[in-house]
Amino acid sequence: MSAVAAKPAAGSAMNPGAMAVGIILTLILVGICYVMSPGVGLMALIGVIIGGILIGFGTHFVPVGGAPAAMGQAPGIATGVAMLATGAGVAGLFGGAWAAETLPATMDPMMQLIIVVCAGAVGGGLMMAITCMMVNFLYVFGMGIPPASGKVANDPITGDSQAEYKSQGTEGHGLPFVSFVGGVIGGTLGGAGGTLIYFELLVLYENALPGLMNVTAAQVMPIAVSAAGMFAVGLFLVNAVLTAYNITGTIEGPHDPKFKRWPRSIVASAVASALCGLVAVLIVMPLPI
Amino acid sequence: MEHIVFGIGITALAGALATVAGSAEDTESNIGSQGDPNSQVQLAPQMGFLHRIFNKAVAGEPPAYGLWCCLGAGLAWAFMAMQINPVLAIVLGAVLATFVQGVYATTAYVGRTASLAKFGQPVFVDILKSMTTVTMAHAFIAIFCTVTLCHLINTALGHPFPLPLLGLIWGIALGAAGSATGNPYYGKERQYQNQKFGAGVPISASGNIVRYAEAGERNSIDNGWFTAKIGGSASGICFGMIVFLELWRTVVFEAINPWYAIIVGVLMILIFTVIDRYIEVWGRKTYGPYTAPKEAEA
Repeated sequence: MSAVAAKPAAGSAMNPGAMAVGIILTLILVGICYVMSPGVGLMALIGVIIGGILIGFGTHFVPVGGAPAAMGQAPGIATGVAMLATGAGVAGLFGGAWAAETLPATMDPMMQLIIVVCAGAVGGGLMMAITCMMVNFLYVFGMGIPPASGKVANDPITGDSQAEYKSQGTEGHGLPFVSFVGGVIGGTLGGAGGTLIYFELLVLYENALPGLMNVTAAQVMPIAVSAAGMFAVGLFLVNAVLTAYNITGTIEGPHDPKFKRWPRSIVASAVASALCGLVAVLIVMPLPI
Repeated sequence: MEHIVFGIGITALAGALATVAGSAEDTESNIGSQGDPNSQVQLAPQMGFLHRIFNKAVAGEPPAYGLWCCLGAGLAWAFMAMQINPVLAIVLGAVLATFVQGVYATTAYVGRTASLAKFGQPVFVDILKSMTTVTMAHAFIAIFCTVTLCHLINTALGHPFPLPLLGLIWGIALGAAGSATGNPYYGKERQYQNQKFGAGVPISASGNIVRYAEAGERNSIDNGWFTAKIGGSASGICFGMIVFLELWRTVVFEAINPWYAIIVGVLMILIFTVIDRYIEVWGRKTYGPYTAPKEAEA
């Protein structure tokens, strides 16, 4: 099919066959992990997959306008989807990793997980809240332009009319309130997902590395923290870039028709996270041969 | 208590460093046309508007600054492992990372501009000589401040991540905050200074960037001078607030109860939401609609 004959796919054009293949691939990868490393390895992989899905889903909320937004030609934040989502996510990961370090070791593991993931989520949300607020600050006070959406007639949250606030020859500009809220939700989900991946891998490495390297738990901590942090940042980029392809350029937030594409992205994120997560798990697992 | 007071002092210093880093980052990217407004610098010759604007889009700002800050932090970490004084190690790391930035800037300008040869856009050697060093100077300030704040977070506040990983994380966040806040001001206000104030650039005007200054042709140092006043400052405040508030809520409240830090973070998000809504309503009321509301839609 040529590009001319292709149907416009702004809505929720899904390919059930491809999604089924994606789900089967994910299950195969989880099965490999179950055979190679049941227990703590499998738990880590499931955590990585859930974290990846959270990142992929959260990235859809982030209002990104790309180059047109930098000229006030389209609403959103004037940068790339993957870049902004990653910026917020790693800021969340920073907070989550810090919380994981300061919690007492005697605390219930499930409570530790909840606190760490919440800390990461709030870190990502706070980064996006400040950034989105400063974007509107600059548009309104620096450039004299009120925020306006190009995709909806009224803001779904505040009900403010949008069409008459769009300047001539543009698609809209700035961040209407629904886009701000979308940005905060996206940062929150991204921060939570990145931190979940980090924490699950940290627990795995703390358990597996001392036996593998024949050293004490205290000696292995810097390596475990560094390796888990590197994998978390790497997995964040994998999922954010995959989602950026799904969004194809720009998105205004949860009210944008492109937002309906999220199921496709979630399956893709699950497959990619399962494959990357399997590598992250298997590097510390002695082969059963 | 003493520990918390010490932590707040470090937090304030890190916030101040982040503010300077954000401001320098945005000014550097505007002088080099690195962010999204670069699309117009690249487009202009194709529309027949030849110019003398520097054009060095190495990558998006977040990955580019992720690389440079990670490189600076990694080298500083290696120098510190060689028992070199931390201040000197950070300076040396930042200098070497800045040279890498300079190499990227040079190849990016030459490569991108050469690709426009068929549209008649020349490669100006004097632009290359005068602009590259200015972007390198700004990049040095941004990298040095970011690596220093990462070192403070790592050694004084006890964050578990090693210095190179902190450099990568805060480099990406620096680029994200700087490009998000600063890009519209350069892209709309400076490149399209000939368009109406208080309105977006019409899509039909794309590529028609301002190419002449008060005397002679405009160059990118003029753009850096212009955007440093609001775009650079706003980017600095944005990144400074991110670093300061993230550290502050953790340093003060995490030791008392981890939930307090989370609750304070949620409260801060709510406060910024209210401020954002106020700014939006203020803008709508003060500037008013561009056209009369349509009765049929109402």
